[in-house]
Amino acid sequence: MIPRFGKYVIKRGIILFLTVIVATYITVLIANMGGYVDEIIKSDLYLSISQSIRQNPAYKALNETQIKELINAIYTNELKKIGFDKPFIYRSISYLRDALSLSLGRALFISSDSGSKNVRIIILERLPNTVFLFTTTQLLLFFIGLFTGLFLARRYGSFLDKLSVLFAPLSSMPGWFYGIFLILIFASFLRLLPYGGMVDVPPPSNRFDYALSVLKHMILPVMSWLIAYTPINVYVRRTFFLMFSSEDYVELAKAKGLPESLIQRRYILRPTLPPIITDFSLTLIGSWMGAIITETVFNWPGIGSLFYQVSVMFDSPVLIGLVVIYAYLLALTVFALEFVYAILDPRIKAGGT
Amino acid sequence: MEKSHLTVKNLVMYYRTLKGEVKAVDDVSFSLPRGETVAVIGESGCGKSSLARSIIRLLPRNVSTYKGVILFNNLNLIELEEEFFTRDVRWVKITYVPQAALNSLNPVIKIGDQMVEPLILRQKMDKHEALDKAAKTLRRVGISENFIHRYPFELSGGMKQRIIIAMSLLTNPELMILDEPTSSLDVLTQANIMNLLKNIRKDLKLSMIFITHDVSLSSELADKIAVMYAGQVVEFNDANTFYHDPKHPYSQKLMESVPTLRTEKKLDFIPGAPPSLLNLPKGCRFAERCPYAFDRCVKDPPLIYVNENFYVKCWLYVRG
Repeated sequence: MIPRFGKYVIKRGIILFLTVIVATYITVLIANMGGYVDEIIKSDLYLSISQSIRQNPAYKALNETQIKELINAIYTNELKKIGFDKPFIYRSISYLRDALSLSLGRALFISSDSGSKNVRIIILERLPNTVFLFTTTQLLLFFIGLFTGLFLARRYGSFLDKLSVLFAPLSSMPGWFYGIFLILIFASFLRLLPYGGMVDVPPPSNRFDYALSVLKHMILPVMSWLIAYTPINVYVRRTFFLMFSSEDYVELAKAKGLPESLIQRRYILRPTLPPIITDFSLTLIGSWMGAIITETVFNWPGIGSLFYQVSVMFDSPVLIGLVVIYAYLLALTVFALEFVYAILDPRIKAGGT
Repeated sequence: MEKSHLTVKNLVMYYRTLKGEVKAVDDVSFSLPRGETVAVIGESGCGKSSLARSIIRLLPRNVSTYKGVILFNNLNLIELEEEFFTRDVRWVKITYVPQAALNSLNPVIKIGDQMVEPLILRQKMDKHEALDKAAKTLRRVGISENFIHRYPFELSGGMKQRIIIAMSLLTNPELMILDEPTSSLDVLTQANIMNLLKNIRKDLKLSMIFITHDVSLSSELADKIAVMYAGQVVEFNDANTFYHDPKHPYSQKLMESVPTLRTEKKLDFIPGAPPSLLNLPKGCRFAERCPYAFDRCVKDPPLIYVNENFYVKCWLYVRG
């Protein structure tokens, strides 16, 4: 049984890696706009060379044709130096290789808060902020949804259950929409909480005060997402558990006279854990790529706002870096899930479907 | 006269749906002597399973009416409080084998662990001891002991049904309710399970309620027959008398629809379908499909008792 499972895991690993390669290559193509970004870079290069030569007093004596020849010579030389003499397709392959080996290179236009142009530093500076904010949010959402869902599934048709169905459409509005109102109420009107940002300016030097300040800044963004996504989350979980509470084995457990709490734990939650864990882990990893508008509304220095910044500036190295890191995270998560499934569901360990 | 083990009197169980009230069990009475088996037969959708579930109080969530008398060992189960019902009756004295054997075991828990749950929880048995008992009971139903460490997906349908039967024997019940225990199995496995049930009945002297839509299958086990139609028992009779001389027109039709081997017999069938339990016709519920229907059938027929163990609900047998 184990070697069969081992073979299966290796096969899955290879397939996932191929997926990462394809995803990254597509990103390389898109981020460079199929090579169009190169044209922008080329014309920028030409412009700067010609300007520097025309402004250089050493070349004052040369006539127009000579200057043009000189510019062209230097330009072609420069192109060769950065590998732009070959067609884009060659470069795209070397971009892919660099991306996959995580040598993400230097940003074209933007720089990190500490002034670095290294893509990896830019991303790693922002990532913890987003991970911290959205892991907190998603964990809260997950547990609220899980327990409320179980609770309501047991009381199907009750007043609270009907109320949950009624509230579900509240989630048609995104988190940042509620965020704006929360800022209006708690920051602008009541002046209890900060408008945005991650920490007070200037940041407190004391560690404890720093943590407290971050927590204070987190309240509104977390709350906005809870308000926006709890209703639909609860509704989905409740319906999910309701569906599985009419399974025949749940009926038999009832006939056996097992207590309600045990039935919920062992007969409803246990067999449905694999899809629940999958849903949660993928949502969690997804949320680490940040929420562009929420982070902008709350001025949160995370991945989401970085994403927005580099997309409008065509800063392809950073964009590629972000997607590659995300693809790796996602692939690793899916890979880890295979093991989790094997633990949770004996059918998978046996190498069934 | 034998002492009755289970007596059901005027049992009613309705539940409410969006379309209206479903009269799944509507005024059902019968009695079962200790150690005997009653087969409840009838078409699908006649309330057979609802009757079984009403007896062990496995009611639908939206139940609206649940009344009558269920005397079990002279204890009225309907009036019994939930706490005592769970402690003394449910899966202790009365066990239930459900219809869907294939999906009635939790797919992610080992068979042994599922079997011993009631023993550990209610009889406070030590886990080791309970698993021992489970292993023994498994052997009793013809399954190797080490299957207590297996998972349900490693078993065939017939084996799963055996395991559920073993599970229902584990608490030494007095009454077993079998809700179409063989309906999802092939004929050979069906025969196997029927033989097993016969042995169990002989050895353990259990009372059984055997629910089936298969008339010929019912003859394997039954001492008594209850024919159900549209939520009511229309005929209750000794099995021997019933198979030779069914009284109610519906029973007669049912018997005529049973195929026999190698004899030229035109198989009869009953045109139409049983009425919806949502809106039942007034008067006799079978009148619409009955070949003998006459003008009195527009009124609800009374139960005609021939003796305590034999009644039929039909105007044909009302004298005068």
